[in-house]
Amino acid sequence: MSHVKHIHKGSLERFLDLLLIALFVLMTLKGGTSGACAACKYQRRRCAADCPLAPYFPAEQPKLFQNVHRLFGVRSIVKILERLDETQKPEAMKSIIFQSYVRDRSPVHGCLGVTQQLQYMIWLAEEELKAVNSQLQLYRSQQHQHNGPTQTPHDHHNQMIHDLGLDNKHQEDVTSQLDLGMGLNLNNNQSNVVAPFFSPLPVSETQQPQMSYTYSCSEVNNNVYSPPAYNTDSGKEILTNNNNAWGVQNRYDMYNDNNGGGGFSNQNENVHEMKSNNGVVGIQSQLVNLQMASNHRQQEEEDAHEYDEIHQFLQIIDDRQSFADSKEAYASSSGETLKEHNIDEIGENELRSAATCFSLTSVN
Amino acid sequence: MSNYTNSPCAACKFLRRKCTSDCVFAPYFPPEEPTKFANVHRIFGASNVSKILQEVAPHQREDAVNSLAYEAEARLKDPVYGCVGAISVLQRQVLRLQRELEETNADLMRYASCLGGETTSAYGGRRG
Repeated sequence: MSHVKHIHKGSLERFLDLLLIALFVLMTLKGGTSGACAACKYQRRRCAADCPLAPYFPAEQPKLFQNVHRLFGVRSIVKILERLDETQKPEAMKSIIFQSYVRDRSPVHGCLGVTQQLQYMIWLAEEELKAVNSQLQLYRSQQHQHNGPTQTPHDHHNQMIHDLGLDNKHQEDVTSQLDLGMGLNLNNNQSNVVAPFFSPLPVSETQQPQMSYTYSCSEVNNNVYSPPAYNTDSGKEILTNNNNAWGVQNRYDMYNDNNGGGGFSNQNENVHEMKSNNGVVGIQSQLVNLQMASNHRQQEEEDAHEYDEIHQFLQIIDDRQSFADSKEAYASSSGETLKEHNIDEIGENELRSAATCFSLTSVN
Repeated sequence: MSNYTNSPCAACKFLRRKCTSDCVFAPYFPPEEPTKFANVHRIFGASNVSKILQEVAPHQREDAVNSLAYEAEARLKDPVYGCVGAISVLQRQVLRLQRELEETNADLMRYASCLGGETTSAYGGRRG
């Protein structure tokens, strides 16, 4: 009899053990304490098997949900999701997560700031394209002229310098056009004169790469594109002005040389995580640097000798000839061009951001 | 500021509550623009908007409200992508332009190297 009791007791213990294990597994799978999604965890509720938010908010990334919760709220998200097809839901959630992330990074401007900066980049690229095209036309006409029989090489050289506006008066302005390849006017009186070319001065060792470009924000204002953020003439004003998107975004300044303090300095922390913002705002940092470089460069060029400048200009051409097929030659001869360092960098970042835009997974 | 006394702001009207002088919405949601608040409330909720506004410096609140209104409108128009759709389109446009620029610059380099070589030889001859 005692033997039977012993067997009975043993099977009961085993049954209880199995029950406990089954409960533990069930809680883990259905979202008990450890398996709950970030949304349920945050709201301290049980994560059901059909939790609509569980696929998008893994437990190990609580910040993702916090951002979304702070901007949209769970009810809004669920409402948005309810109206969509199953196939559209993941896309919608990705865009919501991205939008919330941007708002977390930039509480004032959010995605609108990113949109405006992209619009500015498009304008900038179009202007540069115009300038490069006009220079291309100039070269084509030069080559055409050169093929004519009457011109001596020396005349041709003088003619080219004259044509390119590389005389003392405009050299500084020309430089600013050239390095950037911007389609900006030489000055207000000479509308329609676009003469991009290469920097006549080499980049000194002490000079920072971005300092080799001259660019004035006021020139931007004379052109077609004039967003409200660009109505200041000073790069410093742009840098410190928190009222406009650009001022705020300059806290992302990747060069950290003129970075003003402010409430958004924490945005520098994860600058590499946010590729799209990084790329977008890079141009702003450059804009400020260029403005500051403009003042620096003006002084330098005032002191420089005319002949030396022309000599160096020719040296540049020589350098470029020897590295005709490489883009690095372009950079080595004229400092590091905006194209090389700004536009390309942004392009790369934008490429990444385009990919990361909808695959934002680790934002902790 | 006359909104406080004359008529409640769009937010208080929508929420059917008394618009006090310290209403955080009143300066940014005038009664003449009821849809602005309605959109923002529908997407983000009045509570979230209020929280965001209180976290932002007073001089930046107008910008914050305008960007929220823009985002809300975009989300209502396109529930799937919202304003992120516009960002994506713009990014593609930037990429396209940059590719075009690269190609044009490559052309330019070819011409510049041709002309540069001739000009340098001319200059070298003069110095020599």
